[in-house]
Amino acid sequence: MPPGPSPAPPAIRIDCGPVVLGGREVLAPLRLDLAERRIGIVGRNGSGKTTFLRLLAGLIAPRSGGVSIGGQDPFRDRRAALAQIGILFQNPDHQILFPTVAEELAFGLAQQGLRQKDAMARARATLAAEGRAHWAEAPVSTLSGGQKQYLCLLSLLLMAPSTLLLDEPFSGLDLPTTHRLRRRLAALDQRLILIGHDPPGLEQTDRVIWLEEGRIAADGPPEVVLPEFTREMGRIGEADADTDLAG
Amino acid sequence: MLTLTSPVDTPWHHLPAGAKLAALAGFTLVLFALKSPWALGAALGLVLALHLPGGRRFGLHALKMLRPLWFFVVVVSAWHLWTGEPRTGAVIVLRMIAAVAAANLVTMTTRLSDMLSVIERLMRPLAPLIPPRRLALAFALVIRFIPALGESLARIRDAWAARSPRRAGWRVLVPGVLAALDDADRAAEALRARGGTDGEPPRG
Ligand SMILES: Nc1ncnc2c1ncn2[C@@H]1O[C@H](COP(=O)(O)OP(=O)(O)OP(=O)(O)O)[C@@H](O)[C@H]1O
Ligand SMILES: [Mg+2]
Repeated sequence: MPPGPSPAPPAIRIDCGPVVLGGREVLAPLRLDLAERRIGIVGRNGSGKTTFLRLLAGLIAPRSGGVSIGGQDPFRDRRAALAQIGILFQNPDHQILFPTVAEELAFGLAQQGLRQKDAMARARATLAAEGRAHWAEAPVSTLSGGQKQYLCLLSLLLMAPSTLLLDEPFSGLDLPTTHRLRRRLAALDQRLILIGHDPPGLEQTDRVIWLEEGRIAADGPPEVVLPEFTREMGRIGEADADTDLAG
Repeated sequence: MLTLTSPVDTPWHHLPAGAKLAALAGFTLVLFALKSPWALGAALGLVLALHLPGGRRFGLHALKMLRPLWFFVVVVSAWHLWTGEPRTGAVIVLRMIAAVAAANLVTMTTRLSDMLSVIERLMRPLAPLIPPRRLALAFALVIRFIPALGESLARIRDAWAARSPRRAGWRVLVPGVLAALDDADRAAEALRARGGTDGEPPRG
């Protein structure tokens, strides 16, 4: 994997109005700068974590204002955004566009300007380096859920954007693969913004943002935010089942 | 998802896609020039022989891909037997099977992305009207998502069967269409996440 070229990935600046989806305000207006290298996002189901990542990735636009990464708006300038930001979707089936593993890996590289032939060669070399050369021609439909997730992550790493947005990246992976990927991610120079439901997995971050009903409930170092979050989740879990599915 | 490109490796996998498509075009032209059932039978024999290097699994897969033809074969044969023109019937049926089998053989031994590169190259003269890259991508998405559609119908049928003693039948249709619309939205977003329909122009 090529190391991140710059020592400090450009900060992400968010200054925007609400995000409205399907007529509902899913995220409240936000003002925040993300400059740390490792950032965790926590929150209950439906609290807006995925929507927040999609906003950062430039996949959706807020009502007003916007996001800026190194001076560019990832929603307006998709080409510039490719080098700056990459996103791993929560569900790999929503991410995969091509029928075979090698083609899926090569697509992102070709989108970044590599010729198709070179992109395929890089894809194959990457698979070989992962000890998975035999995956190259495999139809993506024959991969298991966890393997698909792994493929999507590889494809993201191959594009080497300066910020990686990861939506519950370990949720479908077995323990050995999780450990390997955690080590791999830890070694990356790039910025990682990571959604997780498991507080211990976020202890190594520099900053944790806790979302609650589309708003920031807490934002600070993990040793402050995580214990508070864990306590609150425990309290809610005792009090009731999930009765407040937003409608 | 339906796997159009066969994972069984044959020598044909390693030929350039453009050459295979040109050969296919030439072969199909010849098929239409041939008028004798014997010549067409020989042509079909040639196509079948070309499947041999793929082995048994490959051959079975190829046969399966011919299945949609049986209806036409039955109708055309029955009609020509009825009208007393078995020779004409044989010509039509043999030509149809040979043409489809040859096209399937090329599809099964050519990676989608290689096929798309050829399409991109052929469509270059149309570039001012339709950007070739977009067209190629459209082909890829159609090939990826038509089978995905079938899969999502099967999933809905499963979900139905798991909770109902009756067969789902036509009732999967509405959720199926909705799921297809959802799939389309998601594919659009996945594409956008990786630079949209155009991306960077190729370098070097
Ligand atoms: N396209 C949409 N249209 C309407 N509402 C949406 C849409 N996408 C998300 N929502 C709503 O926005 C809220 C936040 O969704 P989001 O997916 O961001 O939650 P999340 O924190 O990622 O949850 P989870 O932990 O379950 O993944 C939810 O209530 C959801 O129903
Ligand atoms: Mg989510």
